[in-house]
Amino acid sequence: MNLALEAENLVKTYGAVRALDSLSLSIPAGGVFGVLGPNGAGKSTLFRIALGLVRPTSGAARLFGAPAGQTSSLRRVGAMIETPRYPPYLTARDTLKMLALESGAAGADIEYWIERVGLGGAADRKTGGFSVGMKQRLGLAAAFFTRPELVILDEPTSGMDPAGIQEIRALIRDLADKEGVTIILASHQLDEVRRVCDRVAILSKGKLAAEGDVESLTGGRPRLRLTVTPVEAALAVLGAKGEPDGPHAVLADVLRAETPALIRALVQAGVEITEARWREGDLESAYLGALEPKDLVDAR
Amino acid sequence: MLADAIAAERFRLIRDRTAVFWGFLFAPLASLLFSLAGDIFVRLAFHKTIPGATTDLANRAMGAVAGASGPVTALFLLIGAAAIVAGDYRWESWRLVTPRNSRLNLLAAKLIVFAEASAWSLLLTALASVLGGLFSSVLNAAPLVGSGAGSAFLGQFAGVFLITWLEVLMIGALAALVGVVTRSTMGAVIAGLVVVVVQSTAAAAVQAASWKTLAIPAYAARTLKTFVAAPEGFRPDAGPAGLGLVMLLAWLVVLAVGALVLFRRQDLTKE
Repeated sequence: MNLALEAENLVKTYGAVRALDSLSLSIPAGGVFGVLGPNGAGKSTLFRIALGLVRPTSGAARLFGAPAGQTSSLRRVGAMIETPRYPPYLTARDTLKMLALESGAAGADIEYWIERVGLGGAADRKTGGFSVGMKQRLGLAAAFFTRPELVILDEPTSGMDPAGIQEIRALIRDLADKEGVTIILASHQLDEVRRVCDRVAILSKGKLAAEGDVESLTGGRPRLRLTVTPVEAALAVLGAKGEPDGPHAVLADVLRAETPALIRALVQAGVEITEARWREGDLESAYLGALEPKDLVDAR
Repeated sequence: MLADAIAAERFRLIRDRTAVFWGFLFAPLASLLFSLAGDIFVRLAFHKTIPGATTDLANRAMGAVAGASGPVTALFLLIGAAAIVAGDYRWESWRLVTPRNSRLNLLAAKLIVFAEASAWSLLLTALASVLGGLFSSVLNAAPLVGSGAGSAFLGQFAGVFLITWLEVLMIGALAALVGVVTRSTMGAVIAGLVVVVVQSTAAAAVQAASWKTLAIPAYAARTLKTFVAAPEGFRPDAGPAGLGLVMLLAWLVVLAVGALVLFRRQDLTKE
């Protein structure tokens, strides 16, 4: 398998704090990979090591098979770590020009990316006056504009308005699907991860707590939750496809196309249906289930 | 790769008008303004010219360059150096640039761009001195004399310029080292200024050249400048000057390499 990022027994300590504790993780090239975990789980430390900002205490990190932090491999990577900061005397356009020069990518399409992240009207404004959301947008342009093979994004939508969040999620999915960019995304927003990511790793106290594709972590495909009376009659109709969900509801493991026939069958069996709702895969349960009790307190 | 980093750093500095003005333009402009103001004051206060006074533009320019590494000028150069070498700590922007080039290239580019900017600042100092001299010549009716027009003078001027530049580069390397250690522009300026003032004071008190006294950069530079600027036939012994040059270069290398080594190994968690 072609790996974009690989961590092998990675340890990073800051004094008495063990930010990464023998973390081993392999992130394949292609698609969007989510990294979840409460504050202090080691997400940002992992990214900083991958980008050569921080040296591991022991263990190894590799980008495309080469030791992390090497300039040759870093030139294949774009990144936005935490809320990006910029020299305030530079405009948005100048910031990207400066980064293009630094990367040896003088031909990068700066204008296209300024428009694509929605900063067209603010391209010549100094970044010192930018809101958090605008800084995030510029950070995304900076991460993508040299057309890297891998992009590492740490909380890419924090500080953005709902429309902006949707826009950026669509951009991330689009780049992964149409342009084949591998994206590693850390987020506290489980809904964002569920919507955007193909695979997810959950970190807890610097260790890998769980890993898998989103569907397997969330318990498979969406299920239909029906509030019914009597429950027993509904379960009899559903057979193996049903299970109780509390005293007044059942969960039906059916396809969306099967829904009308199921409703008809339940009504014919004398079951009263007061509510029917699709329950999406529950990443939150998977997330909380993977964390240790101490993490749960922190996460809540 | 290094060329990329230099181009980026140059681009940044040109747009950082505050750093350019205070770091590299203010000292030459202020020296010109003081010179003009002084001449005007003398002329207005005494209402007469000094009989037999002449203006030697060449020597004036050389003197201005020779004095451009003093503590007052160093303060402004330190402001410029700190903005270049430690600005990324202040703006927390290392995380933005570090993944795009090697750390060695990034800091080396900063030192090189400081070297360029300080060379321009020294040239501007010489030019400001010449302009001040022309104004003084006209105001005081002091005819221009061209004692320094020959190639010998050009060699002396170039020598003094290079030695002063070497001193300034050492100040820049010091700012880089302190900036990396303290992760602060203010730290680089203050600690750098303290070192410059202490060593300038120590150099002023030194009587005789020895390897110990020549280890004081300001004294080594003064010995070198005296040697280079002396007229043919009046040159002092070359030994102390040569040792002074070695000492200055050694300081520059030690400070710059120290900054590079520390920065290369530094964790950039919170810049």
